[in-house]
Amino acid sequence: MTQSAAQDADFIAEALPTFLSEAEDQVESLEALLLELEDEPDNAELLNALFRCAHTVKGSAGMFGLEAVVGFTHHVETLLQRLREGQVALTPELSTLLLRCNDQIRILVAEAGGQPADPAAVAARDDLVGQLQAAAGVAPAAPADRARSQGGEASRAATATLRPWHVSVSFGQEVFRNGMDPLAVLNYVRGLGEMPHIVCDVGGVPPLELLDPDSCHLSFIFGLVTEASRAQIEDAFSFVREDCQLHVINPGATPAQFADLIDAMPGNPRLGEILVAAGAISQAQLQQGLRSQQAAAALGENALLGELLTEQTGLAPQVVDAALRKQRQQRTDAPAAGDDTRFIRVQANRLDAVINLLGELVIAGAGAALLARQTQQRQLREANDEISRLIEEIRNGTLQLRMVPIGETFTRFRRVVRDTAAELGKDVHMEVVGGETELDKSVVERIADPLMHLVRNALDHGLETPAQREAAGKPAQGRLTLSAHHEAGSIVIRIVDDGRGIQRQRVLERAWKRGLVEPGVVPDDAAILRLIFEPGFSTAEKVTNLSGRGVGMDVVRSNIEALRGSVLLDSVEGQGSTIEIRLPLTLAIIDGFLVAVGASRFIFPLDAVVEVIEGRASEATLDARGRGVVELRGQVLPVVSLRALYAIDGPLATRGSVVVLQCGRTRFGVLVDSLLGQHQTVIKPLGRLFTSLRGMAGSSILGNGEVALIFDVPALGQLAAEPPGQPRVAERATA
Amino acid sequence: MSTLHLPPELSIYTAAELHPQWLAWAQQQAPAPAPALVDGAAVDQVDAAGVQLLIALQRGLSARGCALRLHAPSRPLSQACAALGLDGWLAQLQVPFSTEVA
Repeated sequence: MTQSAAQDADFIAEALPTFLSEAEDQVESLEALLLELEDEPDNAELLNALFRCAHTVKGSAGMFGLEAVVGFTHHVETLLQRLREGQVALTPELSTLLLRCNDQIRILVAEAGGQPADPAAVAARDDLVGQLQAAAGVAPAAPADRARSQGGEASRAATATLRPWHVSVSFGQEVFRNGMDPLAVLNYVRGLGEMPHIVCDVGGVPPLELLDPDSCHLSFIFGLVTEASRAQIEDAFSFVREDCQLHVINPGATPAQFADLIDAMPGNPRLGEILVAAGAISQAQLQQGLRSQQAAAALGENALLGELLTEQTGLAPQVVDAALRKQRQQRTDAPAAGDDTRFIRVQANRLDAVINLLGELVIAGAGAALLARQTQQRQLREANDEISRLIEEIRNGTLQLRMVPIGETFTRFRRVVRDTAAELGKDVHMEVVGGETELDKSVVERIADPLMHLVRNALDHGLETPAQREAAGKPAQGRLTLSAHHEAGSIVIRIVDDGRGIQRQRVLERAWKRGLVEPGVVPDDAAILRLIFEPGFSTAEKVTNLSGRGVGMDVVRSNIEALRGSVLLDSVEGQGSTIEIRLPLTLAIIDGFLVAVGASRFIFPLDAVVEVIEGRASEATLDARGRGVVELRGQVLPVVSLRALYAIDGPLATRGSVVVLQCGRTRFGVLVDSLLGQHQTVIKPLGRLFTSLRGMAGSSILGNGEVALIFDVPALGQLAAEPPGQPRVAERATA
Repeated sequence: MSTLHLPPELSIYTAAELHPQWLAWAQQQAPAPAPALVDGAAVDQVDAAGVQLLIALQRGLSARGCALRLHAPSRPLSQACAALGLDGWLAQLQVPFSTEVA
């Protein structure tokens, strides 16, 4: 690779000063973090930051081919990873070791900058590596030592398994402007192993007159035979990761995966090339296919290449179909250069500022509308109605700006699933359904951690090892499905596994032992499963180092509830578990339905309101706690009286109404005094004073300055469904 | 018809400067049968942005019904193309045309 050596030399000469100053900064941060960590050894954030620093040093050194820095930093990184996973505890000695290693990295970086090597430091280096490996519990002579494959100096020993990967990468337009060169990236990737074929998609490059020479339009598809893991392959792209589309396809990919890849592929208009590029067939197979086609043509037959290939190579027809679809699509829309898919990047805080202002506008608008109604001037009222309508449209449009598909979050779990499953010796296939479902960015950010926890939980506790699965008569490969869809103003996320399910008896026994349930009392099935989310149920004792990092399911639940969401667990023993998370689409502004009870105002999210029955509240016969039933079209509907539930004073309304709410599969009615209609509701959090109040999700300021409480419909539904005779609800609510 | 001589440095640093020059040259090229001649002998430093510019040139010419014929690509240029999976593309540019006018 002499040409790449020449290019690397230029690249290094030009960019090395930047690397050196950045690496020095990173070394400084490493030191500061290590020292901070000595005071707070359990601070996971610090450990993560530390790991990131070391990883950045290693990654950028790798781009410059500084093998010595990469090799050494890798050992540091391995130990930090152990620390982060909690497999190794940070002792003062370890901290000292890490600090000394950091000094060593500083020396290595200086050497890379041209400083002569100090023999004493070189001698200390090997010793430090030995200590690092001992501390991390890595056998120094481990055959699959990751450092070797990552450093690029791999003696591709027979002990390591070489696997053929298929990689498709489409570099983003900004790549050149960000100072990155795809050529250098690809040469770096070559250091990981053998690249038997590579195809560049020339079709993505616009003709000269339309080209902006600073924009990158290059896409590549290549095979890579390496012992490196998926993570290591992806790491090679870490410097362009934000700015490229990368697909790394497993060696034993299924036809469906190939079909997906072909659909995602940038242009390449010949069927055969598409198939070769995607790695579905080899070049030799294609040549033979083409020869057969020519031979058939010579005989006057009109053979189709796709059919021939299916016949000769056993290529799944599904793959050929996908490739043909791609080919047709490209032939038809070739001239259009995808201008309508452009994006503008906006800083999140600017968008947040607009949304906050919008909240104020909605409140002020409601105030103005109220005043206009009071003046009883028709024209003023009509003008105000028009303004309200426009505000509503602006509101919807603005909130739409913050919507992002949840698929990106799901995709991040792929690697987690793969690595975790491998670590646990399990074989798990992860499937994503409905990744295009959108929800508010702030919700996505805050749901990622609880989701991650649930995914890890499913892998750790739910899914069994291949041997256990086969013994139970299930396929060896476990399935984990992440799905998302919209339902009545909420997004529903499901995590489904086909693992061993939850053993209710064991849950119950634990609950008895921990005093969550009176010993001997057996609640119904759903209630037993809910116990898992109770504080104090899961403790470190049973938890392995994977799913349990001191975070119990109760924290997951409270995180989800803090987003005004709910979580439900369903499980069939031996067949698997389903966790269902319901979240509101947005945290900021909703359409509400305003009602009054006595002098109090309450808001239901409009999406949850199914219907309203006016003037029939008196038909309900209520028990002392305000719960009862009414008959609705021949069906019994449980109802709950807000007046009784929250002990609201004031004269009873003569003609109360019933608001029928839906939450998941349950329906229930709420008795209110009067209906005040639809209301654009800006959600404000409840004060700490009210956090113990069940059934409430937030508050809102009405146009006249009054405060209304917003109901959390699922929680209210649980209150309504609780059997009579449990006094704690009313007590809590009025406390 | 003038031959386009590729510069020693064909990279992101020269791409913006080369773009208008090449464009002006490309617009002088008449459609086939005679191919537009490009000489790649001088190329010494090349990166992906430089290769992309060359691809764009070829595509721009072919949109005008004109073929690009690359003469004597230098080693660095051939090697960069090979590394980018463009060896086949490069070879195609060097295929002599039967109607070629020397």
